[in-house]
Amino acid sequence: MDGSSGGRDQRVGGSDPEREVDEELAFHVEQRIRDYQARGMSLEEARVAALERLGELSGVRAECAELLAGEQRRERWGESLRFSWLDFKLGFRMLARYPGLTVVGGLAMAFGVWIGACTFEVSRQWIRPDLSLDDADRIVGIQFTNAATREVIRGTLRDFISWREDLRSVKHLSAFRTTQSNLITPESAGEPVEVAEITASAFRAARVPPHLGRFLLESDEAAGAPAVIVLGYDVWQTRFAGDAGIVGRTVGLGGSTATVVGIMPAEFAFPVYHEVWTPLPMDLPAGGGAGPRLQVFGRLADGVSVEEAQSELRVLGQRAARDFPGTHEHLRPRVVAYARSILPMSPDEIVALGWINVAVVMLVALVCGNVALLMFARAATRESEIVVRNALGASRGRIIAQLFAEALVLGAVGTVVGLAAAGHGLRFAVLMFGENLGDLPYWVNANLSPATFVYAGAITLLGAAIAGVLPALRVTRGVGTRLRQAGAGGGGLRFSGLWTVVIVAQVAVTVTFPVVALLIWRALEPIQSFDVGFEESEYLTADLALGEESAAGVPVDQSPAARFARFRGTLEELERRLSAEPAVAGVTFADRLPRMFHREYRIDVVEDAPVPGDSLLDLSVKGAAVDLDYLELLGAPILAGRAFHAGDLDAGQRVVIVNQSFVGEVLRGRNAIGRRVRFTNVQYQGALAPEPGPWYEIVGVVRDLGMYHEGGRAGLYHPLAAGSDRVHMVVRMNGDPAAFAPRLRTVASAVDPTLRLHDVRPLSELAAGLMRAIITIVRSALLVSALALFLSLAAIYSAMSFAVSRRTREIGIRLALGASARRLLFAVFRRPLSQVGLGIVAGGFLAVAVIRIGAGSFSARELGLVTAYAALMMAVCMLACIVPTLRALRIEPTQALKEET
Amino acid sequence: MFRNDAGLLQGTVELLVLKSLSLGPMHGYGIATWIERVTEDVLRVEEGSLYPALYRMTRKGWIKGAWGTSENNRRAKYYRLTAAGRRQFAEQSSGWQRLSAAVNQAVAAAGRT
Repeated sequence: MDGSSGGRDQRVGGSDPEREVDEELAFHVEQRIRDYQARGMSLEEARVAALERLGELSGVRAECAELLAGEQRRERWGESLRFSWLDFKLGFRMLARYPGLTVVGGLAMAFGVWIGACTFEVSRQWIRPDLSLDDADRIVGIQFTNAATREVIRGTLRDFISWREDLRSVKHLSAFRTTQSNLITPESAGEPVEVAEITASAFRAARVPPHLGRFLLESDEAAGAPAVIVLGYDVWQTRFAGDAGIVGRTVGLGGSTATVVGIMPAEFAFPVYHEVWTPLPMDLPAGGGAGPRLQVFGRLADGVSVEEAQSELRVLGQRAARDFPGTHEHLRPRVVAYARSILPMSPDEIVALGWINVAVVMLVALVCGNVALLMFARAATRESEIVVRNALGASRGRIIAQLFAEALVLGAVGTVVGLAAAGHGLRFAVLMFGENLGDLPYWVNANLSPATFVYAGAITLLGAAIAGVLPALRVTRGVGTRLRQAGAGGGGLRFSGLWTVVIVAQVAVTVTFPVVALLIWRALEPIQSFDVGFEESEYLTADLALGEESAAGVPVDQSPAARFARFRGTLEELERRLSAEPAVAGVTFADRLPRMFHREYRIDVVEDAPVPGDSLLDLSVKGAAVDLDYLELLGAPILAGRAFHAGDLDAGQRVVIVNQSFVGEVLRGRNAIGRRVRFTNVQYQGALAPEPGPWYEIVGVVRDLGMYHEGGRAGLYHPLAAGSDRVHMVVRMNGDPAAFAPRLRTVASAVDPTLRLHDVRPLSELAAGLMRAIITIVRSALLVSALALFLSLAAIYSAMSFAVSRRTREIGIRLALGASARRLLFAVFRRPLSQVGLGIVAGGFLAVAVIRIGAGSFSARELGLVTAYAALMMAVCMLACIVPTLRALRIEPTQALKEET
Repeated sequence: MFRNDAGLLQGTVELLVLKSLSLGPMHGYGIATWIERVTEDVLRVEEGSLYPALYRMTRKGWIKGAWGTSENNRRAKYYRLTAAGRRQFAEQSSGWQRLSAAVNQAVAAAGRT
């Protein structure tokens, strides 16, 4: 009975279903006849009995044949989608056998994954950040939306207290506000730290236990409780060298002192980017004030949904609107995701982020399209192998699966490289954003999330599908019939319009991106490179700001006039003490420093101007307010007129000193001294333009000193009056500026512990952060264009080689028949020439559009440069055609004819 | 007794085929004769329902057919159980046991009243 083990299995798939069913039923009848015979019937009797029993079979036969046909179809598909280990092994072998394609294709895929992963990760961190807290999705922020203005407003201390009493659907309701204070230790001078004045409940909401000691408790909030402070891990390590006996010690914070009660674990910077935590003062101002504005948050109570919390809060909001119509009439309290309450994001912004991701996927598809082109050229050279494999029984699906596997192997290699690069890219982006945008929330980091790895995997699959399946579909089209044509010189395979689109798009990118890079560079590079007009390396700078309390730790008169006066006094004392230091050659102050973005004024009228009015409207100049001795300390003597003196600070005195460029650009070289000018701050331009400003008298001319803006360097200086609580200090050093930084902090905190020093660094490094950002952007743009160029060249080269090899016979015969080499060259060149040409034109249009949006216009020289670059691009692309063309022209007619047979 | 397809409950043919193939690969005729033999000719599966059932079960992935050579040296299509078929057999046979026990119980109870 069991003959299958001994018998030889034969393929089921592929045979005619009806014949197969017939054969099976015939076997059945035959066996039945045999059986009947064995039971003693004659052959004839047995046959009649067997057929009688079988009955009418045509319906059964048709049903079985149909079922079998369906099964065979399914099996063929199943087979084609099955990958074997061999496919992947072959894929790896292909990497080594075609190193050119491996490098170009792998790089392209790596680029795709790199840009895709970076964009996705940044979007994810914005839209759905990982707060690294237990059950973080349940932490929500509470804020107001002004129904009249759509503005988002934080609640006040009074709102918080009322919510904390009544709101049941949010537990551990907490609030904080951020201040900066100098943390002062006996060992070191004060250095500013980010302080969260925060309710004790916040630590329970966060559910993070302290590393040492305890976190804040409700008892710390009580009026008259001893002042306590919780330190962050980094602060503990850097400022206290990780002293294990820190708990119980007293430290200075601004003008007051507090006892350290605990250390939070490393990486803990909740609620946003905080380094130390102190209790939030809970006293409402006397006389019915609402108290300071706070960030309010908490945890949704167990089993409560956001909607339920929202509806409870709505009722409280309506009550507040009744109780405080003056302030709360239009305020609607809202429950939002915690991260969204810190980094607000409108639905439009989320949609925009989504579109950016779509655009990036399209870019990746474009790049993979190029790889597909290369893979197609390679697959075409393996056409005979494919035809033979098909003849030996491999279905079309099977061959496609193999080519897909090859692309997947290439893509996987690219993905590993791309993800490694994405890690680096993000680290740099975080650093750059941090330098230029200020402190980032702790959840913005350079780590790639698991979701991003999955996304990168999806991109790889997409890339492999485009780069593997697309060429495979084309190269295997009609593969069954091609065996008969094989040896007839091919000619069945051609590049389609898709490849033209890919090449044109890439050439366009190659032209556009350098133009964009040039534009950015031209606009921003001078911030670093232009001559400031003095020896920068001799100066140390710091950004100074005054705390809200006096040195004794007691809040002081916070009226602006009192604050400015106190700040002025502090600065004078600081200047006096610093001047006594042997390393210091001089101290001065200004509200803007060289290489910084300056205030911008539009010159309205120059008294006694040759062409008054309109002609001056477009003239803008930079402005800064400087201390009386600023110009002198920076080594810029007055060239004409006089320097500032104390009398210039008197009310009603409106004097300015202008620079040489001002004299040239605004006054056209005429005498400046005594002339009066009127100007408007550019920010007030347009509908809000105020009344004409007062007249200012030019009292002096100084040489250009670190002011730069596009189109000119004209600038003017006001005397720095006491009207601010933030200023930049410049210290001229006798030695190395950087080495003096610690001493500067010590002196400053001795003068006033609440005086905060930010960004203490040599003047020459002021623009360093910005420059790093600019250089990165420019480099990225150039990298993208270099890659696009590289890919275009590879694509053009392989397309050309392919075309020439396909047309060997035609070219050979035409040469034999006496066709001129020039005509042949034209025939071969026509296609890539038109593709590159089209790409350059498209890129040109794009570049012009970018220039229009960006910075107006290019100079004739720059336009020439761009044109020359486009021509160079054309030439380089043509170079990629040379090798295949020479190969075509060397074709011997006899060789060509041999190929035909 | 049950000489007709109508006499066999829905799914019974499939269960019988699964059972027969659980003993080892068989061709269609072998399955039919096995059923007749073990039920002492009480159940006779007609060809008109056996072969469509075999093809349907192939489609469901419970069994797999392959051409081989029979004991009398003829080309014959042999069926064997797949892993899914074995699972199906275990499921269906326990279901059948429960069903038949329940029916027996009901029939016996009906007899007492």
